[in-house]
Amino acid sequence: MNPKWLDAYHDPVASLYTFTQCLTLADIQADSDWKLIIADLGTGSYDMKLKVYKNTSLLSEHAIIDLPTGVVTFYMDTLEPRTPAIAVASGPYIYIYKNLRPYFKFTLPPLEVNQVEKELWEQAKNENINISVLRDTLEGLRNEGNPLTVRSMKFLQLESSDMEAFATLHKHSPLKRQTVITCLDTLKKSLADEDAISCLVVGTENKLIYILDPEAFTVLATMDLLSVPVFISVNGLFDVEYRLVVSCRNGCIYTLKRGSKEGSKHCIELNSQPVGMERINKTIYVGCMDETLQCYSSKGKKLWTVKLPASVTTMKAIDYTPRQLKALLVALSNCEVHMYKDKYLVDIIKTEGIVTGLQFGRFGREDGTLVMTTRGGGLFVKILKRSAKFEEKDALAGPPAAQNVKINMPKKTKLFVDQTMREKENAVSMHRTFQRDLYLLRLNTARQYVKALENSMNPISSDPTEPLKLSAQIQGIGPTFKLTVNLQNTSLSTPVYNIIITFHFDDKLYSFRNKYIEVPMLVPGLNYAFETFIDCLNDRGVSDNVKVFVLKDGKSVPIVTGVISMPVSEAAAVA
Amino acid sequence: MDPMFLAYSYFRRRKYQKCEEICSQLLEKNPYDQGAWSLKTRALTGQVYVDEVDVDEEGIAEMVMDDNAIATVARPGTSLRKPGTGQGMPSQGVRPMTNSGRPVSGFVRPGTQSGRPGTMEQAIKTPRTSHTARPVTSASGRYVRLGTASMLSSPDGPFINLARLNFSKYASRPNLAKALFEYIFHHENDVRNALELASQATEQCKFDDWWWKVQLAKCYYRLGMFREAEKQLKSAIKQQEMVDSFLYLGKVYVRLDQPLTAVEIYKQGLEKFPGETTLLTGIARIHEGLNELDDAVKFYKDVLHYDNMHVEAIACIATHHFYTDQPEIALKFYRQWRLLQMGVYNTELFNNLGLCCFYAQQYDMTLTCFERALSMADDQTLADVWFNIGHVALGIGDMNLAYQCFRMSLASNNDHADAYNNLGVLELRRGHIEEARAFFQAAFVLAPHMYEPHYNFAALADQLGDLQSSYNAVKRAVDAYDGHIDSKELLQQLKQHFSLL
Repeated sequence: MNPKWLDAYHDPVASLYTFTQCLTLADIQADSDWKLIIADLGTGSYDMKLKVYKNTSLLSEHAIIDLPTGVVTFYMDTLEPRTPAIAVASGPYIYIYKNLRPYFKFTLPPLEVNQVEKELWEQAKNENINISVLRDTLEGLRNEGNPLTVRSMKFLQLESSDMEAFATLHKHSPLKRQTVITCLDTLKKSLADEDAISCLVVGTENKLIYILDPEAFTVLATMDLLSVPVFISVNGLFDVEYRLVVSCRNGCIYTLKRGSKEGSKHCIELNSQPVGMERINKTIYVGCMDETLQCYSSKGKKLWTVKLPASVTTMKAIDYTPRQLKALLVALSNCEVHMYKDKYLVDIIKTEGIVTGLQFGRFGREDGTLVMTTRGGGLFVKILKRSAKFEEKDALAGPPAAQNVKINMPKKTKLFVDQTMREKENAVSMHRTFQRDLYLLRLNTARQYVKALENSMNPISSDPTEPLKLSAQIQGIGPTFKLTVNLQNTSLSTPVYNIIITFHFDDKLYSFRNKYIEVPMLVPGLNYAFETFIDCLNDRGVSDNVKVFVLKDGKSVPIVTGVISMPVSEAAAVA
Repeated sequence: MDPMFLAYSYFRRRKYQKCEEICSQLLEKNPYDQGAWSLKTRALTGQVYVDEVDVDEEGIAEMVMDDNAIATVARPGTSLRKPGTGQGMPSQGVRPMTNSGRPVSGFVRPGTQSGRPGTMEQAIKTPRTSHTARPVTSASGRYVRLGTASMLSSPDGPFINLARLNFSKYASRPNLAKALFEYIFHHENDVRNALELASQATEQCKFDDWWWKVQLAKCYYRLGMFREAEKQLKSAIKQQEMVDSFLYLGKVYVRLDQPLTAVEIYKQGLEKFPGETTLLTGIARIHEGLNELDDAVKFYKDVLHYDNMHVEAIACIATHHFYTDQPEIALKFYRQWRLLQMGVYNTELFNNLGLCCFYAQQYDMTLTCFERALSMADDQTLADVWFNIGHVALGIGDMNLAYQCFRMSLASNNDHADAYNNLGVLELRRGHIEEARAFFQAAFVLAPHMYEPHYNFAALADQLGDLQSSYNAVKRAVDAYDGHIDSKELLQQLKQHFSLL
C-alpha cells in the first residue's frame, strides 16, 4: 500500500491498447467535470476507437479509421460555453471532434509524386506496360532511395498473383503521396490564458513540422528537420515567442524558435535512442533505451544522468499547481513507476502490469489524479493524497550498505594449526615424498594416456589430421531406444572426409536398425547429429555397454570411440 | 534332527535357500502342514526383502506427472521442489550443484543425484544408464527387477497361486495372514492382492491391529494414494507408537512435498523414542533437501552422538566441512571412517582423503591416496578420480599432467561435463580456440545446470565478437547461478553494447 496515493479505480481487464500520447484529460462539456479521453488502438490493425470516460464509466465511443498517433484537446474559438475540441491524429489526417461529434477533417498538404512513378502508373492505366515491367521499374525506383507513394509500396508488397487485380482496381484513381503524422501538440496562439485559443503543432514522417491555425485550418508555419520527429514539447505563444523541443529518430534533440526554418542549429546528440522526452521549466528530461534518465539544459548542456533499474516504457511530467509540485513520472518495464523530482527519486509506485500510458491532471472533480494504462490492457486511476510529501533525499551518498556487513569467515581450527606445525617441522621429507609420488604419478598417467590413445578409447581424437569430437546420447524407455551420435569437427579450417560410424554390441541383447552410418563431409565448427534406433531383445532387465566407433575409410583403428552404458529396458514393467 | 527345527535354525541364520528346500520337502509329504507352509513363505520373502522405510527413488512418471503437490508456487523453504536459498550454505561457486539446484550431497542415496527434471526430454535423456537410471515409475523399477529374480529361482511355477487364494479364509487366521501378506507384497510384488488381504484382515480384527494399518498404508503408498496412506498411519500411531510408522508417515509427507510436516512427524517420533538415529537422519536429509545445510549438519552431529559408526552422517558432515573451507576437519572425519570400515576400503573414500590431504596441505599423503583410489576404481568412479587428480595437477601448475588427466577422465566416462569444461579452459590457454569452443559446447549440452561452461563459452564468444551467442550463453549462466558476478558483468556489458547508438 503506497502511503502517498489512493487507489481510485482499478480495472485490469479494461482491454485498452494505448500510449501516453493517446491519453488526455479535458473538460470537454464545460461542466467542470473533467473527462478522460483515450484513443484506443484496438487490436493494432482494426477496431480503433476514441473513448471518452466520465469518471469510470464510458461516456461515448467513436470509431477511428486508422491507427491514432496522438490526441490533444484545444480551444478553437471564443464561443461560450467554453468547450474545447478534441483533435485525433491518424495517418495523414487530423480529425476534430466538438461536443463529442465529428466536426472537421484536416488533411496534411500532399507531397510531390516522383515523376517517373507518376508516368509509370499513367502508362499502366493506358495498358502500355504490363505488370512485371511496372513492378521491376518501381522496385528499381525504390532501391535508388526514392520515396514512393503508399499505393506503389503496397503494390510491391503483394504476391505476384494479386498484383494484377490490385493494379486494375487502383490505377484509375489519381496518384497521391501523403505523409503520416508522428506527433501532435498544442501551442497557445496569442494569449496565455487557460482557455485561450491554441494552434496545433504537427510532426510528420517527411521530417517536417507544421503549425496549424485553429480557425481556418491553414498552415501558419512550416519547419524542416534532419530526421523524423517522435516527441515534441512546446512552450510560449505563437504570436509572441515560442520554442519547440523535438526529439528525433536519429537520436538527436533539436530546439526550434519562432522564425527559425530548420532546426540544425541547437542540437543535443544522445548516445542512445530516446523513448520519452519531457520538459519542465527550462530543463529537458530524456529517457533513453540504455536504461538511463538524462537531463539537459535548454542550451543543450548535459546536467546529470541517472541509471534506472529497468528499461523505460513511457514518461510524463507532473505540474500540479495547488501543491507547486513539479516532477517527472517514469514508467519502467519492471512494473514500477518512478517519480523524480530533479534528479532525486522521491516515490515508487508498484503496478500490476507494465505501464505504457501515463497521464496526470484533473479528472472528474479531483485535481491530482494519475491515470495509467498497462500493456495488458488495464486501466488504473490513483489520486494523490493531500498529505503526501515528496522529500528530495540523495540515496546515492555515502558508502553502500553491504560494506558494513561482516563476511562470515570460518575460523582456523586447532587442527589446522597442528597440521601446519607438522608441515613446518617435516617440510623437507614431505616435499621429497610428494615429489617422488608426483614423478610416479606422471609416469603412470602418461602410460595410461598412451594406452588410451593406442586404443582410441577417447571421445576426442588426438590425431591432428582428423580433429573430431564425439558425444552420444540415448533416449527412450524401451524396448526401443534412440541413439543420437553427435560429431563435431574441432579444427579451424580442415574439413574431414570419408568417415563412417559403426557400433559394437552384444547381438543377443540388442539389435540396431542401422549398423553402419556413412558420414558426409564435416565442415569445421558445426555439430552433426546421426540417429539410429536400437531394439532391446531381452526383457529380463539386463543391460550392457554399447560402443560407438568412428572409422576412417581404409583404416582398422577407430579415430574416436564412445562408450554408452545402455539403460534397462522397462517396457515389460510399463505394459 | 527334526527337519522342522533345522528349517527354523536355517531361517534364523538367514540361510533362506536351505530353509526353503527343507520346507518344500516337508510340504511334499504333508501338503497341509501349516507350520512348514508359513515358514516357506517367510523364507521366500526374506530372500527379496527390502526395508520399505528407506528412501526410494521417484520414477519419471511420478516426477513429470506429479499431481500430489499442493501448492504449485510454494514459498521458499517449504517445498523440496523449490529449495530455498538456504542459510549457511556455501555459494554455488564453491560447492558444485546437482541438476536440481541442490548442492552435491556427501552421501549418495536415491534422489540425491539428479533432481526434478524440467521437461520430459530431460527426464528420459541419459544419464539414464544402467547404473544411475531412474525407473519409469517407482511401481516398476527396483521391484520388478527383484520380482524377476525370484521368478528365475522357481522354475516349476510360483509357490502360491494368488488367483486361486481365498483371501477371507486366510484373513481370519492371523498367524498365517501376516506371513502371507509379506509374501504377496514383497515376493510376488502384487500390491492389489496384498491390499485386499490387508483390508479384509484389518476388518477381521475389528480395526484393532496397528500392524495391518501400517501394511495398508504401505499398499496405498505403492499405489500412489498418499492421503489414504496418511490416514492409516496416523490411526496406527494413535494405537501403538512405532519408529517404523513414524518413518513411513514422514516418507508419505515427503512424497506429498510437505517437508516441514515431515520434520514435525519425525520430531514427534523423537519425543517418544529419543536418540533414534533413523528419525534424526530423516530430519537431516530433509534439511539437506531444503538446502539448509547448517541445520542438516546439526542433526547429523546428533546422529553421530548416538551412533558414532553412522557412515551417512560422517560423510555428510565431512563434505560440509570440506566445502566450507575446513578440509582438515573433513580429513579427520574421513580418517575416522577409514578406521571404522576396518579394511573395507573403496575408491570414493581414498579419493576424498586425497583431496582433503591436498587442500589441508598434507602433501606427502595426497598422491598415495589417489594411487590407491585409482587402483581400486571401477568404470563409474574412475572418471571422477582422474578428474580430481587433474585438479591437483592444476593446483601444482602442471598443465600437461592436468590435460592428460582430464582426457583420461573423458575416456572412462564420455559424459563427464566438468572434465569437458576444464579441458576447454586448458585448450583456450594453449590458444586452440576452436577446440575450446567445442569443449565448452559439449560441457553445457551435457550439464545445462552448470554455470561455468555457459560463462566460459560466453566469454570466449565475446572475445571473438560473436555477441549474439555470447549474450545467449551468459543469460543461461545467470539462470543457472544468479550470484555469479562475472556473468552478470558480462551480461551488463553486452546489454549496454546492444542499446548503444
